[in-house]
Amino acid sequence: MIELIQILIEGTLVGLVYGLVAICFVVVYRASKIINLAQGEVLMFGAFLLWTFTAGARAAGYDLPLPVALILTGIACVIFGMVMERAIFRPLIGQPAFTIFMAGVALLILVHGLAQLLWGARTRGAPVILPEGALSFGPFLFNTRLLIGAVFTVALTFALHAFFTRSRFGLRLAAVAEDHTIALSLGVSVRQAIAVAWVLSTLLATVAAVVLLSGSILSLEVAHIGFKALPVALLGGMESIRGAPLAGVIIGVLEALAITYLDPMTNGAASGVLPYAAMIAVLLIRPYGLFGWRKIERL
Amino acid sequence: MLSLSNVDVIYGGVIQVLRSANIEVREGQMTVLLGANGAGKSTTLKAISGLLHADHGTVTAGRITFDGVDITNADPAGIFGLGVVQVLEGRRVLEHLTVLQNLMVGAHRRRDRAAVRADLDKVFGYFPALSGLVNRTAGYLSGGEMQMLLLGRALMARPRLLILDEPSMGLAPILTQKVFETIARIKREEGLTVLLVEQNARAAINQCDYGYVMEGGRIVLHGTRAELEGNQDVQEFYLGLSGDADRPSFREVKHYRRRKRWLG
Repeated sequence: MIELIQILIEGTLVGLVYGLVAICFVVVYRASKIINLAQGEVLMFGAFLLWTFTAGARAAGYDLPLPVALILTGIACVIFGMVMERAIFRPLIGQPAFTIFMAGVALLILVHGLAQLLWGARTRGAPVILPEGALSFGPFLFNTRLLIGAVFTVALTFALHAFFTRSRFGLRLAAVAEDHTIALSLGVSVRQAIAVAWVLSTLLATVAAVVLLSGSILSLEVAHIGFKALPVALLGGMESIRGAPLAGVIIGVLEALAITYLDPMTNGAASGVLPYAAMIAVLLIRPYGLFGWRKIERL
Repeated sequence: MLSLSNVDVIYGGVIQVLRSANIEVREGQMTVLLGANGAGKSTTLKAISGLLHADHGTVTAGRITFDGVDITNADPAGIFGLGVVQVLEGRRVLEHLTVLQNLMVGAHRRRDRAAVRADLDKVFGYFPALSGLVNRTAGYLSGGEMQMLLLGRALMARPRLLILDEPSMGLAPILTQKVFETIARIKREEGLTVLLVEQNARAAINQCDYGYVMEGGRIVLHGTRAELEGNQDVQEFYLGLSGDADRPSFREVKHYRRRKRWLG
């Protein structure tokens, strides 16, 4: 029983990190109706930027204090997000979905190649930002790094939800999420909203990278998290900020259970497959995800 | 207040929809734009509010000015900032947001919280039905409620010129009448200037101060309400009235004669 609860705890914590990456998908999708296939690469790129300003700078003889390194990383991410939006996706506004899909694939390969070019393919240690170790509550252990990430994700979800439903600026983004023509007719700058969404999503991806990688291994393979988080975003509903962490917990727990109970019998295949199987099962019943925007049709 | 002089609009670089349109909207008046489907009414409105670009259209000749400021082909957000607020055709509410959120989106540019709250109460005063629906999802409202919400949302922006594209579309006659009465009341009480496009000519002419009739992208006739009401062509084609009983029926009038009247 204690083992089961421990599995549930770990699954929940990991799932909330998936949820955080899924929020990145959601933020971009709401504004621009684009599923950023390269989200995992964006996260990986952010992680490399962080490495550059911490361990990389130290190796080059500039030992930056951590806050300065974090701020520099943030600025670099903002620029990176803006460049992606300006150079690739803004010119494609109004083009067919397939064109944008292919541009996403191209961006994925491009960012991957660029990272390999800049930082090389070797693996390295990711900088330690969050405390290591585990907190114990009674018989249960909480990984400190994941616990901080989970708390952050939950707080962020509430904050973003309030932002999108109450604040003047957030309502602008919500109007853009609904319909670009209506937003334009209400004096909302759709371009600005999309640019803000990309920058926000890139920053959040880097935060997710910190939670995910702090003190572990940084390599080009990190980008796989993108395709783990995409089913989470679809399951939660592509328009729903609140759906993402909830779907993350569902997928995370399923994955943790599969790792413990099914993987020994399936050579480790079950944990990889189960999240996608669960996603398809839910989407068959609710095609717009758990909390996504159901298409309103009037009869 | 608003003036269009010799405005041409071309879509996609080839299709000319507006030909040398001249329209003048005076402060505090309700100006109505009449015409058949495809006459260029909606295009005129989009040219004013800057939404043509979304449809790949541009103003290729002429000038549009609002209070002396040139807004020809300007950015829609900038035009909105001047106080020109358009309610699009076809009940375009933000479907998945609540009624309250829809209204607040209208006020997204305003920082004066207290005044926004006061305006919210004012909107509920004009449309009491909305006050009971604040937390409803806008997409599930009835057609009449949606139209009220759209008018309310536009009012939340404190418009100086309110542009309405067919507010009566798909509404029952009694609701249409109510909508027009409310528009007239708001115009009177807020001192609002209104530019209205309408298929329901009778309701529109009843409320307007000045009217334009469009056909084939041109303004073919314009005048004050009294002039329009007195005009034989408007009476026959739009109001369905006939001055004398022995007027030939519309069906018997040869189609070239029908057209010739407007082109003359």
